[in-house]
Amino acid sequence: MTFDINTIIYILEIIVGGLLVGVGVHFVPVGGAPAAMAQATGIGTGTVQLAAGSGLTGLLSAGLMMSVTDNLWAILATGAVGAMIMIDATMLAGSWIYAYAVGAPFASAKVNYDPITGFSQPPYVAPGTVGQGIPTVCFVSGTIGAAMGGLGGAMIYYPLVQINGNPAMSAIFAIGIFFVDAVLASWNIQGTIEGFHDPKFKKWPNAFKSCLVATAILAVVAVLITPIGGI
Amino acid sequence: MDAFGMGLVAAMGALATVAGASEDIDSDIGSQSNPNSQVQLAAQVGNPHRIYNKAIAGEPPSNALWCTTAAIMAYVLIEGYHMPLLFAVAAGASLAALFDGVMSTSAYFGRSASQARFNQWIYLDIVRYTTPSIMAHVWITSFCICLIAVIQVYILTPHHPFPIPVIGLVWGLTVGAIGSSVGDIHYGGEREFQWRLFGQGLNTMLSGQIVRKAEAGLRNSIDNAWFCAKFGGPCTGLAFGLTVFLDNWRTTVFDPVTQAGAAIAMGLFFVIVMNLYNHYCEVSARRKYGPYPGYKGDIPA
Repeated sequence: MTFDINTIIYILEIIVGGLLVGVGVHFVPVGGAPAAMAQATGIGTGTVQLAAGSGLTGLLSAGLMMSVTDNLWAILATGAVGAMIMIDATMLAGSWIYAYAVGAPFASAKVNYDPITGFSQPPYVAPGTVGQGIPTVCFVSGTIGAAMGGLGGAMIYYPLVQINGNPAMSAIFAIGIFFVDAVLASWNIQGTIEGFHDPKFKKWPNAFKSCLVATAILAVVAVLITPIGGI
Repeated sequence: MDAFGMGLVAAMGALATVAGASEDIDSDIGSQSNPNSQVQLAAQVGNPHRIYNKAIAGEPPSNALWCTTAAIMAYVLIEGYHMPLLFAVAAGASLAALFDGVMSTSAYFGRSASQARFNQWIYLDIVRYTTPSIMAHVWITSFCICLIAVIQVYILTPHHPFPIPVIGLVWGLTVGAIGSSVGDIHYGGEREFQWRLFGQGLNTMLSGQIVRKAEAGLRNSIDNAWFCAKFGGPCTGLAFGLTVFLDNWRTTVFDPVTQAGAAIAMGLFFVIVMNLYNHYCEVSARRKYGPYPGYKGDIPA
């Protein structure tokens, strides 16, 4: 293959996509297993799994859009919107169960007042728990995180298809790079976070740096290897 | 937009709803994913039980495995042997269910045997009549998701560029992530701890104290499926159905080539509506339930 200015642009696009995924994971309110027992605020599953679920739904939308148009902005935007729809539907259905089955009011244990609605939080935190449900600030934060994840996934996928013209292989590579960045970010937040209002969010520069290094290596490998494998 | 395409998108939404519900009930029967931590802990804190205990992997990876297995077999039958689509998908789902049966059984034996020192028994009757239920639900999930992938790739226009195993992988991951985030709350937050005060999350002190008695006799995993099929399963189905339907509806109603902006704007509209709906749920829960009576802090409710 020829190593020209386009190759460098592709590598940069993949790196930016990976960074968006890495930082976007910090926005997604994941409470892990305790949240499934209404013992912690956020969505009751693992960071990587949720980020992957939403980001890859965005990747499906972006893949469909890219098969019919070359408009980069439409592809990126549709990836972001697909991911946002997935995570919002998930959080909304989760809220129905918190509100109407467990019967618990939503509360965050990390702040005294919701930064968006201004609602007081500590009086609504059940004894022996660290909050429950998905308050508005977490929901908005999760939507932003999913948008970044979907955007990142589409941004990784776009240059890969440009290079090898094979959507299936590009999707698998994009999924792989997505998982690497999501796992690195997950280690940074030690598995759970409530969103951008959580004190742990301030640690995002660490994930930014590690994702930069990891994605740079992966981007070079992806750009070099895919044309050979694509034959 | 054509009526046939809209019908297909509606069918995909319906299939996704069924897939989501069966995925959640499968995980409830097997105590997979998040609530498994409590089932695992129960024996260790002196509560041996008759609940099926399988945690093959997190829900998203394990469902991605079943759906991809089904989709690969369907792909081979369709592309290599030119089999009818429905037959190929049904055959693929059967293979996925068999794989799941093997792994569920070994997971139950392994997990229960490792807790022998805590007086946890291996119940062969549980294995005999619970494993087929789990396999049946996995069959439904992988059949529906594989069929969604087949519709997206072979029937719906524009055809999706990914092959069906990749779409099966992505939808499998997504349905697992949704089942783990939505349905698990109903099982873990409500069904496992029904004797604590209603209206609060699980107090950390009560970890592992799961309910072991059923409406009649000792509780087993089929009792849990009966309970969770009333609300947790349908909610999971709705969430996955909404994801599949809304995401595909906007690119079917609006032409993705000439009306890409409208398709994206419609997606953003759905997102805003869901944000507002969640805010409504929060306000209504706070108003109905109020603050906890024992709160002694100085921040007013």
